[in-house]
Amino acid sequence: MNELDDEQLRQMLERLRRFALWLTREASSADDLVQATVERALSRRGQQREDASLRAWLFSILYRQFIDGKRRERRQARWLAWFGCSEEAGSNTEDIVVAQLGLAAFAQLPTEQRALLLLVSVEGLSYKEAALALDVPIGTVMSRLSRARAAMRELAEGATPPPALRRLK
Amino acid sequence: MSLIPSEHELHAYVDERLDSERRRAVELYLAANPEQAARVEAWRNDARQLRAALSGFAAQAPNPRLDPANVRRELRRRRQRRWASAAVLLLTLGIGGLGGWQVREASLLASNPPMADAVQAHRLFADAKALDLSAQDPARLQAWLGQHFAHVGTLPDLSAYGFTPLGARLLSNEQGPAALLLFEDARGQRVSLFLRSPGEHYARMPSGERTDGQLQARYWSRGDYNYALVSAASDRRGEQLRQALGITL
Repeated sequence: MNELDDEQLRQMLERLRRFALWLTREASSADDLVQATVERALSRRGQQREDASLRAWLFSILYRQFIDGKRRERRQARWLAWFGCSEEAGSNTEDIVVAQLGLAAFAQLPTEQRALLLLVSVEGLSYKEAALALDVPIGTVMSRLSRARAAMRELAEGATPPPALRRLK
Repeated sequence: MSLIPSEHELHAYVDERLDSERRRAVELYLAANPEQAARVEAWRNDARQLRAALSGFAAQAPNPRLDPANVRRELRRRRQRRWASAAVLLLTLGIGGLGGWQVREASLLASNPPMADAVQAHRLFADAKALDLSAQDPARLQAWLGQHFAHVGTLPDLSAYGFTPLGARLLSNEQGPAALLLFEDARGQRVSLFLRSPGEHYARMPSGERTDGQLQARYWSRGDYNYALVSAASDRRGEQLRQALGITL
């Protein structure tokens, strides 16, 4: 059982924020997500699995929180719809930023593919770590990676030169 | 070992997850298959682009709220608050419960004045002709009492106050047996002595007296029993009788 020290966590903060930002595509909720992750990591430091590296463990906490949050949101939306209020769709990361950085294709990928590409291509996690972080079997990681890259290609080729991103409804 | 790498291996190649032997094999394969090489190169490019684009996001303005030390403090504060509110809740429940209990007790006592059964028994049986025991002899009364109430004391001689025993009646209530002992003076004025085991509302019944209509009840506890002397409210000898009974019983 290893005491999670603050310095290790602090070093992971920016990576967690980046991951959260591209999951939520909203700066403020991204930081809420990171805060919740740090809280959970601190209060459950004994639960880190032996075979999981610290970063895979942290990413897995964050991803789980994100998924749970999404589920809650959907439930809330259903309730709101039931009572006749329709919720304004949350604003995504500024389209301009996305377009500028040539991330149009990436931004359009489904969440799970985005999460995987972030972990593997950007954060440099091994497939095994990514599988732990996303809580899926390694076979799923491989096939999802394959699909994600193919989808990314398709989107990029279909949109060359990248036009201003249209918001997907 | 197969010469044609699998799709997974191509991805592993892009992500540099192959051992050197397989990497060489993939490189050889790609050199011979430009179409596949182009696919792989495109993936690699995408990954590179993504890395480059997102590296900027790592340099966001730090958010002090996220610092572990701060989160730790916040967690501690929240835990303390939770404890505090739990304590407040408990206290509130406790006060409410205690208050409610006391109100219950008070209203129970109000609706069950001490030794109400004694007064009731006197009303019902003081004029009765049929008694379980008719005895003018104090010794017989004492013996009868001893049969039913093992720990009872000695009945005093009330003749000094003009009262002689008339008899007794055995009663019962929720607490078990109770007895009504009747005494009469020369003019036919009757008083009764009631005794029983303590009831649930008056486990430790204080001594006292109260007037209930025409009747006066003087009650006290001694040993295992509660006693009440019920007399007419106008009868001045009540207090003296009460004192005499209290000494020996």
